[in-house]
Amino acid sequence: MTMVEDRSPRRYEAALKVTGAARYEGEIRTAGMLHAALVTAPLPSARVLGIDTAQARALAGCVDVLTHENALRIPPAAFLTLCQEPVVHFAGQPVALVLAETLETARAAAASVEVRYAPTPAITALEQARATAFAPRTAGLTATDSRRGEPEAALAAAAVSLDRRYTTPTHNHLAIEPQVVLADWDGSELTVHTPSQAVFAHRTGLAKCLGLDVARVRVISSYLGGGFGSKGGAWFPCLALACLAAKQLGQPVRLELTRAQMFTLVGRRQETVQRLQIGAARDGRLAALVHDTVAQTSTYGEYADPVATPTRMMYACPNVATTHRLVRVAAPQPNPVRAPGEGPGSFALESALDELAYELDLDPIELRRRNFADRDQHAGLPWSSNGLLECYRVGAEAFGWARRPRTPGTLSDGRHRLGWGMAAACYPAYRIASQAAVGISKDGRVKVRCGTQDMGSGTYTVLAQLAAEALGVPYASVDVALGDTLLPEGPYSGGSMATASFTPAVEEAARRLRSDLIARAVADPRSPLHGQQPDQVSVADGVMRAGNRSESLADLLARVAPQGLEATAAAAPEAKPAKSFFGFGAVFAEVRVDPELGEVRVARLTGAYATGRILNPLLARSQFVGGLIWGIGMALHEKTVMDANLGRIVNDNLADYLIPVHADMPRFDIHMLTEDEPHLGSGGVKGIGMLGTCGTAAAIANAVFHATGRRIRDLPIRLEQLL
Amino acid sequence: MQQVAYHRAASEGAALALAAAHPGAAFIAGGTDLLQLFKQGPAAPAQLIDISRLPLDRIEPRSDASADAIRIGALARLADVARHPEVRRGWPALAQAIEASASPQVRNLATVGGNLLQRTRCGYFRSPDLPCNKRQPGSGCAARTGENRLHAIFGTSPHCAATHASDLAVALLALDASVHVRRHDAAHTLPIAELFRLPGDTPQSDNALGPGELIVAVEVPVGTESRRSCYLKVRDRASFEFTVVSVAVALQIEGDVIRSARLAAGGVGTVPWRLAASEAALAGARAEPAAFAAAAAHAADGAQPLSQNGFKIELLRRAVRRALELAR
Ligand SMILES: Cc1cc2nc3c(=O)[nH]c(=O)nc-3n(C[C@H](O)[C@H](O)[C@H](O)COP(=O)(O)OP(=O)(O)OC[C@H]3O[C@@H](n4cnc5c(N)ncnc54)[C@H](O)[C@@H]3O)c2cc1C
Ligand code: SF4
Repeated sequence: MTMVEDRSPRRYEAALKVTGAARYEGEIRTAGMLHAALVTAPLPSARVLGIDTAQARALAGCVDVLTHENALRIPPAAFLTLCQEPVVHFAGQPVALVLAETLETARAAAASVEVRYAPTPAITALEQARATAFAPRTAGLTATDSRRGEPEAALAAAAVSLDRRYTTPTHNHLAIEPQVVLADWDGSELTVHTPSQAVFAHRTGLAKCLGLDVARVRVISSYLGGGFGSKGGAWFPCLALACLAAKQLGQPVRLELTRAQMFTLVGRRQETVQRLQIGAARDGRLAALVHDTVAQTSTYGEYADPVATPTRMMYACPNVATTHRLVRVAAPQPNPVRAPGEGPGSFALESALDELAYELDLDPIELRRRNFADRDQHAGLPWSSNGLLECYRVGAEAFGWARRPRTPGTLSDGRHRLGWGMAAACYPAYRIASQAAVGISKDGRVKVRCGTQDMGSGTYTVLAQLAAEALGVPYASVDVALGDTLLPEGPYSGGSMATASFTPAVEEAARRLRSDLIARAVADPRSPLHGQQPDQVSVADGVMRAGNRSESLADLLARVAPQGLEATAAAAPEAKPAKSFFGFGAVFAEVRVDPELGEVRVARLTGAYATGRILNPLLARSQFVGGLIWGIGMALHEKTVMDANLGRIVNDNLADYLIPVHADMPRFDIHMLTEDEPHLGSGGVKGIGMLGTCGTAAAIANAVFHATGRRIRDLPIRLEQLL
Repeated sequence: MQQVAYHRAASEGAALALAAAHPGAAFIAGGTDLLQLFKQGPAAPAQLIDISRLPLDRIEPRSDASADAIRIGALARLADVARHPEVRRGWPALAQAIEASASPQVRNLATVGGNLLQRTRCGYFRSPDLPCNKRQPGSGCAARTGENRLHAIFGTSPHCAATHASDLAVALLALDASVHVRRHDAAHTLPIAELFRLPGDTPQSDNALGPGELIVAVEVPVGTESRRSCYLKVRDRASFEFTVVSVAVALQIEGDVIRSARLAAGGVGTVPWRLAASEAALAGARAEPAAFAAAAAHAADGAQPLSQNGFKIELLRRAVRRALELAR
C-alpha cells in the first residue's frame, strides 16, 4: 500500500457557492406562492378534541388552515401522515398547517389557532419502560439478533471477562440549512424544490400519497446545506404535507422548518443503552462477545440502528451473540444519523477493548492485532480487502504511539494531564443501482447527467472528474447536472454509498461515449484518424491521437454529429456477493484534561483509513475531518435533552445544544491508504462519509482514561464526570 | 411575532422622554438578546426605543480627587471594551470576562448595558410554552423538577432557580462597580450588586430598574486590586458557551499578605454571587496555596443544590482555588 497523492481537481461549484450564485432550493420563489406555518402539539401524547381556526382565518392574509378535519386524505402509509388523524404521538407533532400570503401572517395565524387536547398517558423516557423492550424486525439493513458458538459458556470459562454498560444520548442532525420545500402545483403537475437526499425516492413517495402518476411529479435538489440523514425519509412527512396543501389549494406552497422544529420533525439518533460482555484468554485472544442494545423508538414507528455490526464481524471471536431491542417512547421517531449504529456501537466495543487491554496489561493496538479477523466473522465471507493492520501501523507511526506510557495519568503539560487513546473503525461499503449519462456537444463541452444529490460533500466535483478521466477531456470542460428526477436515476445520498454506486455507471457511460467517438473518427474519411485501429487511438485533453495523427473531439463532432452525442449506462451490485465489503480505519486521539476542573479538550486526532480507491483526496480529507468532528461532538458535546416530566426537548437551539466550535478543533492528521479493490465492482470505491465518525468517541474516551484513570461510559463526557 | 412600533431616539433626552411616554416600551441596544426573546415569546414590548446610535459608548479613564476609575458608557460594545488598552491594563478581569463571552460576532454588536440586563438562559424560560414562573408568573418552575444541571445553587426560591447569564456582571461585581441610571426626571447611581434582584416570589423581574430607566454607564474603580484581577470560566466546550461555573477575583496584596480580596462567581447564583465567606478567609492571610485552599473550602457555604447540579459545589471550590492561583 502507498499513500494517496493529492492531484485533486478543485471543487466544481466552489465559485458559485462563495459568490452566492448557487441557488439553494430555499431561495426559490414563485408567483402566487403561499407561506405555510405549522401548528405543533405541546404534549407528548394526546387526542385532539377540536381545533378552532376562526381567529387565525380572520387575520388579513390568512388563506386557509388545514387540519385532520379538512386536509386531503393520504392513503395509509409506512410513514407518519400528518393532519390525517386527531392523535398526537410526540410533542412538536404538527396538528395543523396554516397557509398565508406572508410568512409573518402564517406564523401569527399559527400562533392563534386554538387546539383542545385530551392528554393521554405517555412513556417519556426510555428507562421508564425498559421492561417493554421488544425485538424490531431488523437493525438497519442487518438482522436484529445474531449468534455463533456458545457465548454464555465461553464467557463463564474465559480467563478474563468484563461486563460493562455504555450509554449514548439522543442526537439531532442539525444541518446548517433547514428543511424547506417549495411545492409548485400547476393543476396537473407537481414540481418540488427541496433539499433532498433522495430525489427519486421522494418523487415515488409523493406520487403515491397524492395519487399522481410519477411522470407528473418532479423533484429538484440542486444543492444541499448538509443532510446527515435528515433530508431523506425523515423529512418526508412534512414534505408530503406541504405538497398536499399545494394540491388542495391549487397554489404553490412554501414551508420552511424552524431550528426548533428541526429537533422534532426530521428524525434523531436514538438513545442507546448497551451492555457489552467480553471474555478473553490471558494472551488477549477473544473467547466471547455479547452485545445487547436497548434503544428508543417512537410510539408509531420502528427503527433500530445496527449498533452491533462491528461486534459481529470485526474481530476474530468464535462465540458471539448480539441483540437489538427497542422501547417505545412518546418522542420523535429516530432514523439514521451520520454513522448510524456503527457510531454508538463502536463507542461501546472499542471502549470495552481498551478496558480489556488494561485488564490484560496489553497495548491496545497489540490486543486488536491479536484479534484481527482474516474474514468477515459474521457473514463468513472473505474480505474484498481489509487494510486494518496497515491502518494501525501507519496511524500509530504518525501519532507517535510507540512513545505512549501505558500507565494512566503519567503524561502532563503544566496543569493539564494529557491522554492518548485509540480505536479501530469500520463501516460497510454499500452500493445500490445507478444510471448515468455522459454527453458531448460540438463545442467539446461534456455533460454528465445523474439523478443523485450533492450534500455538500463534493458529488458535482467527483462526477465531473470521473467523466473527464474516463473520456479523456479536461476537468474544466465538464458540466454536471444532478439533483433532478428528469435525469437518469441515480443513487440516494446515504449510508456512504452514493459515490460507490454512481462511479461504475458514470465510468461506463464515459467509456461508451469514448468508444463511439473513436469508432466514428476511424470510420470517417475526412478524419485524420481514418482507417486507424480503434484500440490504437488514445484520448487525452479532448484530443484523439494515434501515432502522429490527431483530431480534437470538437472537430470530429462538428462534422459527424453537430447535434452532439450521449451515452448512457447502468450499474448494479451483484445480488449475492462472494466477498464482504467494508472500509476500515484506526483513529488516535490526544486529549488535554484539566484534572481539577474537569474540562476536556481534544488536542490531536490522527486517522488512518483504508477505503478502496480515493477519487479526490482533498474532498476525501474533508469528509474524514467532518466525520472526526462529529466524533468529537459525540464524545464531548452533543445531547438532545428531554424533560421527562413534560416529554419536551429543552435545548432545541444551537446555543444550548452543544456542537464542537472552531476553538474545539484539534490538529487533524489524516492518512488515506490506497487500496486495490478489484472485487467491489464499484470502480473500486468504498464510501467514506461515515467512517471518520466510527470509533472516534471511543478513542477520545480511551484517551480520557489514559489521562485521568477515569473510565467514562456515558456520553457525552461532561466535566462533572471527571471531578 | 406581533407588531411593534419602532422609535429611533435622537438623543438621550429623547430616549428618556419616549420611555416615559410609553410605559411597557423596551430599549433596544445591540438587540442580540432582545430580538431572540421577542421571537421566542418572553419579551413582547409594544414599542421599541432604539438607543444604539446614542453617544453613550465612550470608555473614559478618569481620576478626580476621590478615586481613579474608568467610566464605560452603557452602549460601549463588548468588543471595544475588551480591546481597550486601559481596560486591559487596569482591569484585566473585565477584558477576560468579555473575551470568554459569546463569539466575536456577538461581541461586536452586544453592549455593556444590554449584557447586564440579558435574561437567563434557562431552557424553559426560552421556550414559548413550557411552565416557567419567570416568563409566565404562576405557571410553575419546570426546571426545579426537571432539567437543572445548569441552574443555580445560591439565591434560589421555590419559584425560580435560573442563573444570571452574564460573565461581565460577575467581573464587575468583583471589581466593585457602580451603575449610573437615568430617568426622564431623575438620575441615580447604585452599586452593581443592587442592580440584580433575587427571584423570591416575583421571578419575572430580574433587576431593580424602574419603568423608563436607562443605564447610561458603569463605573469601575481602579487600584492594586483591579490590576491584580482575573476571570476564570469553566465550561463544556472551548468557546461560545455560557458558563457552567465562573469566578472573578480581585486581590490586593502587600508583600505577601492579602490586604483585601473580592470574589464573585457566575453560573451558581440567581444573580452574580459574592463569595463573602471566602473573602473573609483571605483577608490578612498570606497569599499562598494553603490560604487559597482554605478560602476555596468556604466558597459554596450555604449552597442549595437541585437534583442535577450538585457538582457545582465542588466545581466552584476548585474554580475559586484556581482563580486565586491565577490572580496571584
Ligand atoms: C449565541 C450567544 C451566546 C452568548 N454567550 C454569552 C456568554 O458566554 N456570556 C455572556 O455574558 N453573554 C453571552 N451572550 C449574551 C450577550 O452578551 C448579550 O446578548 C448582549 O450582551 C446583550 O447586549 P445587547 O446590546 O445586544 O442588548 P439588547 O439585546 O439590545 O438588550 C438586552 C436587554 O437590555 C435592555 N437594555 C439594553 N441596553 C439598555 C440600557 N442602556 N438601559 C436599560 N436597558 C437596556 C433591553 O431593553 C433588553 O431588555 C450570548 C448571546 C448570544 C446570542
Ligand atoms: S428556573 Fe426560573 S426561569 Fe427556569 S423554569 Fe424555573 S422559573 Fe422559569
